[in-house]
Amino acid sequence: MSDLSSPADRASPTIRCLLGMLGTDVHNKGIRTLAQMLRDHGIEIIYLGEHNTCEGMTQAIIAEDADLVGLSYSSSNYLDYTRQLIDTMREQGVGDVPVMLGGLIHPEDSDALRQMGVSGIFGPGSKIEDILDFIHRAVGRADEPAR
Amino acid sequence: MTKPKGNKDCEAPSEQVRKDSIEGVKVALSRTKTWGGMETREFYSSPHIDSDPYHAKNGEPGQYPYTRGIRPSLYRKRMWTLRNIVGYGSPEDTCEGIREALRAGTAGINVVIDALSQQSIDPDHPAFGVEVGAEGCSLPSARDMQRLLGDIDITRSGVAFHSTMMTYPLVAAAAIRQGKALDRIMGSHMPDHLQLNLSGWGNELVPADLCHKTSVDCIEYCIRNSPKWALGFPQGYDLRERGLPPHGEIAVGMAIVNKTLEDLLERGLSIDEVAPNLAWVSSADIDFFEEVAKFRALRRLWARTMKERFGARNERSMALRIACHTAGNSLVYQQPLNNLARAAIESLAALCGGVQSLETCTYDEPVCIPTAEARELATRTQQILANEVGAARTADPLGGSYYVEALTDRIEEEARATLSKLEEIGLLEAISNGTIEQICDQYNMDVERELQQHERVIVGVNAHQPEQVEQPERFTFDRSHTEAHIRRFIQMKRERNQEALHDRIITLYQVAKQGGNFHQAMIDALLSDGSIGEVWGTVRVAHGYSYDPFNVIQTPFVYGA
Repeated sequence: MSDLSSPADRASPTIRCLLGMLGTDVHNKGIRTLAQMLRDHGIEIIYLGEHNTCEGMTQAIIAEDADLVGLSYSSSNYLDYTRQLIDTMREQGVGDVPVMLGGLIHPEDSDALRQMGVSGIFGPGSKIEDILDFIHRAVGRADEPAR
Repeated sequence: MTKPKGNKDCEAPSEQVRKDSIEGVKVALSRTKTWGGMETREFYSSPHIDSDPYHAKNGEPGQYPYTRGIRPSLYRKRMWTLRNIVGYGSPEDTCEGIREALRAGTAGINVVIDALSQQSIDPDHPAFGVEVGAEGCSLPSARDMQRLLGDIDITRSGVAFHSTMMTYPLVAAAAIRQGKALDRIMGSHMPDHLQLNLSGWGNELVPADLCHKTSVDCIEYCIRNSPKWALGFPQGYDLRERGLPPHGEIAVGMAIVNKTLEDLLERGLSIDEVAPNLAWVSSADIDFFEEVAKFRALRRLWARTMKERFGARNERSMALRIACHTAGNSLVYQQPLNNLARAAIESLAALCGGVQSLETCTYDEPVCIPTAEARELATRTQQILANEVGAARTADPLGGSYYVEALTDRIEEEARATLSKLEEIGLLEAISNGTIEQICDQYNMDVERELQQHERVIVGVNAHQPEQVEQPERFTFDRSHTEAHIRRFIQMKRERNQEALHDRIITLYQVAKQGGNFHQAMIDALLSDGSIGEVWGTVRVAHGYSYDPFNVIQTPFVYGA
């Protein structure tokens, strides 16, 4: 399917990616499919699923020692929720964990999302190769001091 | 801050407009001749009816097993209902949206509720404030249902609610406050709670056993008390959106129907009391011929099931009515204007498949909730199909096509095979243990792999991408009404008669805990200004679940032992 190296070929330990949704959004098709595809590429998925609060998700990031967080949105309030999550993560001392977004993200909102600290945005039509590439780069960067 | 409009600013259109729109005018059949001038018949069939095995298997339009449609004259006698979805912000905002849609020529309104209200979460829940009114109308109390309905007399005009939990109790409570008898109220909602569990709500929000109990209770209560109230059951549309092929929609939908009907019959209702009030909520996806075949296979399987399995005698139990929405998940974000073509083809599939009501998705559905322009184009699409394309002229226009007949047989066969497997496991078990969810996940993965390998091409997604794309406009609305609506809700909670409410909440708790039908008690609690969060939360506690499925807030009530 792709020419990316399998996890066994890499020296670094398995990447732990936490995937989840915030609020009451029930459109879980995309994130469930992504979870399986990332697993197929050797990423360890901590699947938090739907219906999380920002507080609950932050606790999970800490408890699971996640390397990065992926959020999926099919509803329009992603700016508010993402800001709330990143604020909570910073308050709880895990503001350095990279955050990526997928789903129905409008390009007009990209700048605002990046300003609040989102490092990967994967709107409609994104390719798995690009997401994998981002994950590997983001986790490498995560070793540097937090912003 | 803008003051919210009161009811008087939000009155429904003039009597005549309302009568013509909600009650009367459907998409009209303007012509039975072809565009070239040839007269056509109501339907066409084999010249050798008596000896033809095809006829024995399918009947004619209007004949058992209704493969070819529920009436011989289908749309000539009664056109499909052109529906449009409306719902955002406060009840007053949505009331205004309804007015706009009626002005644009919509005959039937589908009211969409926001995600919080759909999940029976109050708008003052501390974790989810930003979602109030964002993707539908916030409708957390009987008073808000009254505001939404404005001066619409629900014994004369049917509003279709595109929602499940608490919808009927809210409508019933509003009707009682209007002084209307419950046995005269019209309209519909979609009481399929099990489907919610499968469509991303999961066991935390809606445990399968509680879903099933609530659906059975709700349908029983509606049939006994509001026989004119139509029930969109099962809700096959969301199952398709979650990830099922056409035969999967039929299989899972029928499994839900069979299990629910069995329990209703055990409660002493007869199949001929229940089945005529059900309408299948279905999708029309992009594969035109496959979708036409699906509707045909679905009607045939339904008719046989009602007659052979449940012993129905009334033809209205066997002739399945279908409410169709074109497939939201077939529409793509890239080059959204292409979605106009998709939705038009899907709408034509629904009509060639003989559905009774049709909501055509707006082209901007993947981008935002519908803009006024997009909604108007969806309406015009159906008007073009009715008046220019000739979609309504002749019942089952593809009947007899070798291709469509073969697909119809194949879909029924596959649906029966999957249905048997699910019933062998047991429906509730197959939901709780994730069997059905796995089927959906596998289907979605297969689609994704096919897209990556270009075995499946979607224009603009994995082929034929434009070099430069202009971003579509997004729907926006003034949130000041929503904020005022939340404040008003908090004030209602503070000012109501707390003792009277408490008594009714305790009664609800006890009825539910003892396993009785808790719908009357829910209506009573709503009439005491209990909120949907409080009423549903109490039902959850009575069934051994947490008051708040998100475990953020505690119940304000003391239920006792």
